[in-house]
Amino acid sequence: MKNRITRFLLTSLIGVALLCVCVFTFFAIHMGNQSAATINQVGTLYMSSMSQQTSVHFESIIGIQMSQLRALVGTIPSDIIHSDQGLQQQLMAQAKARDFAYLGFYGNDGSFEMLYGSQLTVTDPEPFLDSLRKDQQKVAIGTNARGEKVVLLGMPSPHPSTPEHDCAALVAGLPVSYISSNLSLEENNERAYSFIIRRDGSFVIRSNDAYRNNYFERVRVLYEDVNGITADEYLEELEAAMVRGVDYSNEFTMGGERYHLYCTRLPYSEWYLITFLPYGSMDSIVTGFSHEWSSLTILSGTIILTALLLVFYKYYGLTRQQLQEVEEARQAAEAAQKEAEHANRAKSEFLSNMSHDIRTPMNAIVGMTAIAIANLKDPQQVHNCLKKITLSSKHLLGLINDVLDMSKIESGKMTLNMDQVSLREVTDGIVAICQPQVKAKRQQFDVFIHDISTENVLCDSVRLNQVLINLLSNAIKFTPEGGEIHMALYEEPSPKGDNFVRIHIEVKDTGIGMSRDFQKHIFDSFAREDSARVYRTEGTGLGMAITKYIVVDAMGGTIEMDSEQGKGTRFCVTLDLEKAQVMEEDMILPSWNMLVVDDDRLLCETTVAALNSIGISADWTLDGESAVDMVIKRHNRGDDYQIILLDWKLPGMDGIATARSIRRELGDKVPILLISAYDWGEIEGKAKEAGITGFIAKPLFKSTLFNSLRQFTEPLQVGEKPPEKKGPDLRGRRVLVAEDNELNWEIASELLSAEGLELTWAENGQTCVEMFEQSPVGYFEAILMDIRMPIMGGYEATQVIRTLERPDRDLPIIAMTADAFAEDVKRSLDCGMNAHIAKPIDVQEVLRLLDKYLK
Amino acid sequence: MTLKECYAALNGDYEEAMGRLRSERLVQKFVLKFLDDGSFDLLCRSMEAGDQPEAFRAAHTIKGVCANMAFSALLESSSQLTELLRAGDMGDQAQELFQRVKADYAKTAQAIQAFREEAGG
Repeated sequence: MKNRITRFLLTSLIGVALLCVCVFTFFAIHMGNQSAATINQVGTLYMSSMSQQTSVHFESIIGIQMSQLRALVGTIPSDIIHSDQGLQQQLMAQAKARDFAYLGFYGNDGSFEMLYGSQLTVTDPEPFLDSLRKDQQKVAIGTNARGEKVVLLGMPSPHPSTPEHDCAALVAGLPVSYISSNLSLEENNERAYSFIIRRDGSFVIRSNDAYRNNYFERVRVLYEDVNGITADEYLEELEAAMVRGVDYSNEFTMGGERYHLYCTRLPYSEWYLITFLPYGSMDSIVTGFSHEWSSLTILSGTIILTALLLVFYKYYGLTRQQLQEVEEARQAAEAAQKEAEHANRAKSEFLSNMSHDIRTPMNAIVGMTAIAIANLKDPQQVHNCLKKITLSSKHLLGLINDVLDMSKIESGKMTLNMDQVSLREVTDGIVAICQPQVKAKRQQFDVFIHDISTENVLCDSVRLNQVLINLLSNAIKFTPEGGEIHMALYEEPSPKGDNFVRIHIEVKDTGIGMSRDFQKHIFDSFAREDSARVYRTEGTGLGMAITKYIVVDAMGGTIEMDSEQGKGTRFCVTLDLEKAQVMEEDMILPSWNMLVVDDDRLLCETTVAALNSIGISADWTLDGESAVDMVIKRHNRGDDYQIILLDWKLPGMDGIATARSIRRELGDKVPILLISAYDWGEIEGKAKEAGITGFIAKPLFKSTLFNSLRQFTEPLQVGEKPPEKKGPDLRGRRVLVAEDNELNWEIASELLSAEGLELTWAENGQTCVEMFEQSPVGYFEAILMDIRMPIMGGYEATQVIRTLERPDRDLPIIAMTADAFAEDVKRSLDCGMNAHIAKPIDVQEVLRLLDKYLK
Repeated sequence: MTLKECYAALNGDYEEAMGRLRSERLVQKFVLKFLDDGSFDLLCRSMEAGDQPEAFRAAHTIKGVCANMAFSALLESSSQLTELLRAGDMGDQAQELFQRVKADYAKTAQAIQAFREEAGG
């Protein structure tokens, strides 16, 4: 394509250039010829007029002299004889006065009788005499006694001069120089020169450099070229013109120079005036003009060629640019396609990888459900399990929301849902979710709360949870069995001002760590270290990308990490959070004395500080043995501890053994609470047996302590009674159910009929529309609509129903489908449905929504 | 074989099903009915015929039924297949998943069959 265009352009360019050259060359040559012809023409014109002028001039000069002479002849009386001395004297005086050099009578026999001047001879007497005899005035050339040439003017005069001679004419003589100077035959500015010849070619008055007596001879010798013909032919032409008495014009070259010749006959004589004009000057003018013309031609040719070149170049450039643009567009399209393919692949990968993050809380739910079912007779245990299930479910919900909103995160449109968040609740939730996994891997899990005075902050709890879950589940995942995982929270004043608090969250493990290379990519999407060690660990590879996005981009915090392969990893998240403007509950308890027993000094100290802040004074110790000693000591003083907090895992004597010892010493009076980060379900029996009053869960926030200890302010604490949830009363409501699958219909029918709803089944969207149309107005109060149905889907059916001409066309329609992505929900609503429920069917949710829309 | 064992055999979640349907009688009723459901046949036919919209709808229905019945294994594979078919993918990956769905369905059907026979048909 490109080459073809280039070739076409080049070919046409060369073609046009050649055409230009040809046309302009033709013009140049043609104009050259034309100018030569023009010179010739101009020369002829000029020469003819010049010759005419000379000829007229000659005529007038001769005419004047003739009339002078005629006047002389007039003075001669007819009867006088020439020998009359007086007359002769008179004639002489008059002739001299008229500047004649010679004067004489010319006889019929050709003899001169001079009145004055030396004796003259006529060079060619025949024609002269002939004319005079015929009574014609005539000019001729003669010679004087010294052989000098003299111009003779003959005026016929019938008077006899001498008795013995008949007098033919009175002849006056003038020097030749008189004629030639008067006619300016010699000195001529334009280098033109003239001479006079007779018909036979002999010179009458010759040019300066002509030494031959005959012009024709001179021509034969000197002339090189007579306009393409030979000298003889030229002479023939010339003589023929002379005989015919017409003017003759021609060109020839002599001595390397071009001349123009013009021949014309002179009056009063048998003479011919020949004028030469060298072309030199005119030639140079015309040649100059011709040159100028040529240069102009060449210049204009060049200009046109240049313009053409420019146009072609521009066009070529444009074509190339177009080609380039096409190429660019093609590449862009290719890139877009690649990107789309990549996105598609990433999406599939993402969907199939997603299981991990969902499994973490799901496992908690499944496990807790199993435990609850196994312990149906123990309401405390079931309550405990249900609480954890609730927490995990909430997290799972949040996570699924995240998956649905993944596109938002990817396109940077994720926004935070700021709300009041209790750090304690968040931490409790996280710990509860992680515990089953920690337990399954027999890892040691500790949570430390240092000096958290601001428990309530403004934050997006779902996102914060997500961050913590990601960090912790990674720690659990990548730490081998029996390893340690620490989570710590502490706060410090925020540089953002008094209304803010800076929270540090540290998650540390003794796991496999990360290679240096991978640490660079940890926050990329779908990043997972590719090595045999982590091959079996499942996950989406999205966790850290989302975490980083939430912490850094959305919340404006920082996330730091250091890791060493084989040693472990530490993540530290720092967030500046706004303090929630809530009335903190006035957490004050009676001024008890308490004992805190934990092998971690830091935990002891922070717990004691927290207890102090709620009005309790406390002692602490690091092991069971000393704790027993201290209790006994106080007991002996009669100043017993009111409440004892015991860690379960202690070096040496563990919490349960310690409790047993204390009970032995003090009896059952003092409440002993076991501190544990773990689910205490399985040790509960043993603990109760050893005399443990209750449990307190790590992390020990101020509010955790307050809430756990408050029950002991009253002697008898009644467990929190959950309010009896009474479902909405929907008995007798008629609902149309569009569902193509019989099994699903039966399940829905079974479950909802039990709640007193009257259901009617439509097998697809079309039937649903028909049944609704045929029903009396207001008969069906709501429609539960499946989306994917044969013949007519739920979206279309809804749209049809919404456009029916019925007053009840806007009855509640609730989508009930296995599609649960955000866009499905949106599409349902866009189609005019009121709400969207995902399968599996959740009776309570269906009832709640029906109740809501049936009001 | 008890209903619970049947659920274990087909990798389902008995507790979830019980939680939803509330009585063993109902669970048993629907489990037995599951074999009569034509969606799987429709899926097989559509996959062979390369009919993507029908295959998608059938997979979608299976997903919905399994969600209601808490047949976890079949639910997961059919859900994945549904998503691929939703995206219009009938390629190797979809075929692979379809084989998984087939295997899960076979396992489910086998468990139910065994249960039915023991329950006295």
